[in-house]
Amino acid sequence: MYFQKKRVIAMLLAGGQGSRLYVLTRKTAKPAVPFGGKYRIIDFPLSNCVNSGIDTVGILTQYQPLELNEYIGNGQPWGLNKTHSCAQVLPPYERNDKKSGWYEGTANAIYKNIDFVDRFDPDYVVVLSGDHIYKMDYNAMVEYHIANNAACTIAVRNVPLAEASRFGILNTNPDNSIYEFEEKPKQPKSTNASMGIYCFSWKVLRDALIADEADPNSSKDFGKNIIPNLLADGHKMMAYNFDGYWKDVGTIASLWEANMELLGKEPEFQLRGGKRETIYARNDAHPAAYIDDDAKIIDALVAEGSEVYGTVKHSVISVGCTIGEGALVEDSVVMPDVVIEANAIVRHAILGEGSKVGKGAVVGGAFAEGDEKKISVVAKDAVVEANTVLLPGEML
Amino acid sequence: MNAMGLIFTNDASLGELTNKRTMASLPFGGRYRQVDFALSNLSCAGIKHIGIISRHSYQSLMNHVGDGEEWGLELEEGGLEFLTPFAHSTVGTYRGKLESIANAMDFLEYGDEEDYVVMIDSAVLCNIDLNKVIEAHIASGKDVTVVAKKLPCNGEKKVDLGLAVENGEITEMVVDYDADGKYIPSMDIFVVGKKWLIQSVKALAARDKFHMDRDLVMGGWRKGLVTVNVYEHEGAALFNESVEEYFNNSLSLIDKDVRADLFGANHPIYTKVRDRVPTYYGVNSEVEDCLVADGCMLDGEVENSILFRQVTVEKDAEVEDCIIMNDTVIGEGAKLKYAILDKNVTVSAGAKLYGTKKSPVYIKRGETV
Repeated sequence: MYFQKKRVIAMLLAGGQGSRLYVLTRKTAKPAVPFGGKYRIIDFPLSNCVNSGIDTVGILTQYQPLELNEYIGNGQPWGLNKTHSCAQVLPPYERNDKKSGWYEGTANAIYKNIDFVDRFDPDYVVVLSGDHIYKMDYNAMVEYHIANNAACTIAVRNVPLAEASRFGILNTNPDNSIYEFEEKPKQPKSTNASMGIYCFSWKVLRDALIADEADPNSSKDFGKNIIPNLLADGHKMMAYNFDGYWKDVGTIASLWEANMELLGKEPEFQLRGGKRETIYARNDAHPAAYIDDDAKIIDALVAEGSEVYGTVKHSVISVGCTIGEGALVEDSVVMPDVVIEANAIVRHAILGEGSKVGKGAVVGGAFAEGDEKKISVVAKDAVVEANTVLLPGEML
Repeated sequence: MNAMGLIFTNDASLGELTNKRTMASLPFGGRYRQVDFALSNLSCAGIKHIGIISRHSYQSLMNHVGDGEEWGLELEEGGLEFLTPFAHSTVGTYRGKLESIANAMDFLEYGDEEDYVVMIDSAVLCNIDLNKVIEAHIASGKDVTVVAKKLPCNGEKKVDLGLAVENGEITEMVVDYDADGKYIPSMDIFVVGKKWLIQSVKALAARDKFHMDRDLVMGGWRKGLVTVNVYEHEGAALFNESVEEYFNNSLSLIDKDVRADLFGANHPIYTKVRDRVPTYYGVNSEVEDCLVADGCMLDGEVENSILFRQVTVEKDAEVEDCIIMNDTVIGEGAKLKYAILDKNVTVSAGAKLYGTKKSPVYIKRGETV
């Protein structure tokens, strides 16, 4: 079989459970969690690939892959189903050597798919994770990597000093070359946080993966092993500054916040964009949204296939939802195919895909000034019975 | 019981609305083109070998339909084929459906997998289970099955083909006629045997007969040469055969029952995917009784209207009883009532546009008002 040589391919790590999303990832891998009305988290890195001219993407899946595999399908929504392009789902598999078995870490996942990468004989491999919301031109990062003759380039962003100890911090020389990597340092020396986006020269990464695999004490992880090892071996490693919007949506609070940041006339994160900024998603055949006579919608996103009879304020309403008469939805994220029945009240909540809030039920409540943000969460396909209450911060 | 499909795309026009596009590519319902209904009806019935017959202005249609991927028609064998006129010495543009079929003989005669042909026009929109129609056709043993819809005809609607039916048998037929309540109009959906169609078209073409309704169906039936079966469609059927009908039918989608019938009765209606973001409703927006596609930015008042993708309605604008197509911008404080705005129109701030229910104002693609 003929495989076209590629200058760059991407490997997307999509196997994580996303345990801090609790009930939302009970049956769904984190990258398949709905976002922004009609997208799923994985649409962002996948669309970035396409918009960066990367047409070959290996997607490493492990945890609850059914929905994710179904969603990616043949890659058609992202234009990755052509003769010389692909979105290849790579689940763990059995074989008769040590590459057999579950993925034991991010580096191990790529190691087990060296054969896949080799088919395309790439010069560079971009390693991405499937849990961030952002738009980025990976090609610009690859060009930077080439211009600096680096073995590895890591995308970094400036974070507030107070938060720096939550991240992998890269300490750099004035030319942006990295001299030290510290995973979640107690006393950070800089505020350059790794975004978990790497560009490697494939030869260097390939050798490093094989070497790491031979180390019985390794946890087979990019942040913990591969990056420190490359640095210790004296490879040239560069930090690539990215100052656009970037959000880790790995927690209930950050997922809710990121959705809220899509609202407003000039939102913090602009989903809209020109040709190379479009976020592509798998689209179902829904008619246009219906907005009823008594509906009231203020500062909200409402996607196609929805029917709104009640009031929606400062919220994201996804495809195929029904907001019943007299219902109120405020400061909430309503995922696809949710039914909110008449006179229900939903505040500061995330309602999982296909869930239902019965007549007159109350979900969540307002935050008091300065309080911890208590977001109520309803799991995928769960039902809040009519006239019952789900307290602020509770999960169903 | 294999069938192939033929879609006609040019056999009606709506004045300026179809000046630069076919009836088939006329936008409808916020996110569709009229041909989406015919394509979805065929594809969802498992009919995957489809010819699209176009006479002219088919650029936007080809662009929309592409290789038929969205309807599951991008196949190696069968699939979708555009049947456009070969402008050579003996054939000009088609004068009627029969002539266009005569010109598509190679397409019809290719292969022997299909026994039936479903012919469907793009001006009448419905969500229909065509397998039931084909079964009814076979059970009837007749030459032609015409799908028709009982409408309250009051002599004002000109029908292409009207059928008077008593106890399931046709008693009279009319063509291009201001039908009264005695006649039920054909929905321009026909099921015929493929061999029969090929023979009939060849025979009529030899005598320079080119009109399907008049020459093949009514003419044949009156002479006793053709037997005709009627299949009455129960669900909604929207006849977009005049600008007024197009306007009223568009707004009829605001009715829940019409919408449920057209989009949910038997199968989904598929269309070309455009990756637009969900619509944003601003702090000043007041939207009531509307159908709204993705990608809009709404900050004004909109009532009883259809908004296509990527429409902008700015603050203090008032839009009532309007059809606003893709990418159109309605400036601050503009006031519109009974208007059809084609794609990419700009309505300047403060501009006023008023039509009437009978004759809505129409603004051409790309114009600035």
